[in-house]
Amino acid sequence: MFLDITDLTKNFGGLVAVNQFSMGVGEGQIVGLIGPNGAGKTTVFNLITGVIHPTAGKVEFDGKDVTGKSPHTIASFGIGRTFQLTPLFTEFSTLENVVASYYLHPRSSFWDTFFNSPTYRRNEAYALEQSLKILDLVGLSKVKDELARNLPHGYQKMLGIARALAVQPRLLMLDEPLGGMNTDEITFTMDVMAKVRSQGMTILVIEHNMQILDLCDHVVAINFGQKIGEGTVLEVRNNPDVIKAYLGEQNVA
Amino acid sequence: MRIGSSITLRKKVTSIVAYAAIIVFLALLPTLGLPVYPMHTLIGVFIWIIVASSLRLLDLSGQGSIGHAAFMAIGAYTSGILAKFLGWSPWITMPIGVIATAAVAFLVAVPFTRVRGIYFTMVSLFFGIGVLAVNQVFSKFTGGYSGIGSIPLLFGYDKTPYYYFCLVLLVVCLGIIYRLEHSRIGLTWKAVAQSHSVASSIGINESWQRILCLGVSCCIAGIAGVAYAHYYSLLTQDTFSFNTSINVFVYMTVGGPRYFAGPILGTAALILIPEQLRSLREYVPFIFAGILLIVLFLMPQGLAGLLEQFKQKFARSSKTESVETDDGVSKRVP
Repeated sequence: MFLDITDLTKNFGGLVAVNQFSMGVGEGQIVGLIGPNGAGKTTVFNLITGVIHPTAGKVEFDGKDVTGKSPHTIASFGIGRTFQLTPLFTEFSTLENVVASYYLHPRSSFWDTFFNSPTYRRNEAYALEQSLKILDLVGLSKVKDELARNLPHGYQKMLGIARALAVQPRLLMLDEPLGGMNTDEITFTMDVMAKVRSQGMTILVIEHNMQILDLCDHVVAINFGQKIGEGTVLEVRNNPDVIKAYLGEQNVA
Repeated sequence: MRIGSSITLRKKVTSIVAYAAIIVFLALLPTLGLPVYPMHTLIGVFIWIIVASSLRLLDLSGQGSIGHAAFMAIGAYTSGILAKFLGWSPWITMPIGVIATAAVAFLVAVPFTRVRGIYFTMVSLFFGIGVLAVNQVFSKFTGGYSGIGSIPLLFGYDKTPYYYFCLVLLVVCLGIIYRLEHSRIGLTWKAVAQSHSVASSIGINESWQRILCLGVSCCIAGIAGVAYAHYYSLLTQDTFSFNTSINVFVYMTVGGPRYFAGPILGTAALILIPEQLRSLREYVPFIFAGILLIVLFLMPQGLAGLLEQFKQKFARSSKTESVETDDGVSKRVP
């Protein structure tokens, strides 16, 4: 597996936020992580990306153990992510957000940067050119000089994805990319995700909006920090535990 | 900062020409027969502009410090003590003082940068108080309250060489700060200031960047410190007290921390205006406070933001301008 999570556990004091959670993501797949509010989806994301450290368990990415590494190290391994809230550098323009995110590849040394060496200028030109391409891809070219905090919500979400793409990740992790979007924006975002996947990127996505399932190759359902179902979209849709978690007990009978 | 637009380039050229003109004017002043006292005042202005600008550099990475004078003190005392007691030439002790400041800054940055925002500001305050306490403990060398006097002078008693020396230091330090801010290093620091979680998600080693920023900023404050020591030749407990740190913070805030010219204008205004009112000496703190209140309430962008504030008022039609300026500085003042 490309991303392998084994028996991941996280306790916050007495609360077990994630309990013995295991899942895998194959290369080139789009995998959905679904579950009701408070199920532990975002905690799993934060555990994978090193924002918080697991109490027990292991995360392996592309054969490397990345458990408990710091977020910037994990980003350098090739994992890009978006955030559910505050996903941006709000005081930067749209373009600056993406250019600033071209931090890892290419990377100029301190002295190259300070003395404005040819290497640095070449790297910056490359970052600018690639950033404009990404903005084209996510449809934000027309607002590239707007400040990020003045963008409408849907655009901010797209900019979050653009920023994550600038890390040039091999695994893209999206935390509720469709949250608060209107129908047009949802269609557009899903188009972008399909496009990105067709370029060979692996995507792990958290979503409440069930439309996302149309894109997913594999779905994992989680509730109270535990995996309650896994499989193809159809399998998960018909899984009684998943239905119970979403709709309540009575509907099962 | 807008990337790759022609407006940016034109603005850049205009500001470079303006800065060059001011530098040339300042360089010519002594040849036009500048009296000794104004020259003395201007040397002080140069030194404090360096400190205020270095404080703004630190502010770029989201770290507001109210203990900056302590770093200046480390440079000043190191160089002053070595020159006085070991009799070394100031030309040797001054670089040592700057290196010592940088070393201490990097050392304390490691624990300091573990806290953010207002907590960092508090830690910086405690550091400032701590340095004063160390000053007391080693009063055999530092002179404690009464301070250390007759530090070897750099050039003797004529003020003109000091004037040029400090002007060169000022231009070099501001050049370094400008270059840092307008390169990817500054972009990274600004990114860290806005959101540490997003910054680390794109691979920025957030704590290292903040350590680096603190180190560079304090190193520049140290440069100002050593220049101070070998010009004034007297360092006392009050020279680098908490009050001094606050003053520097006020210089930056009044000038406008969002702008490169902010600390320059702020320092110049807040040193030169009270200087003109020497006959009202007892009232200077009130005037100082008055200026501060007026700036905070009427010009949240600081003195450097005045031009843009007016532009915004009279030309509401330009949308991007209003987008750029409707941000309160107050947000960044801890």
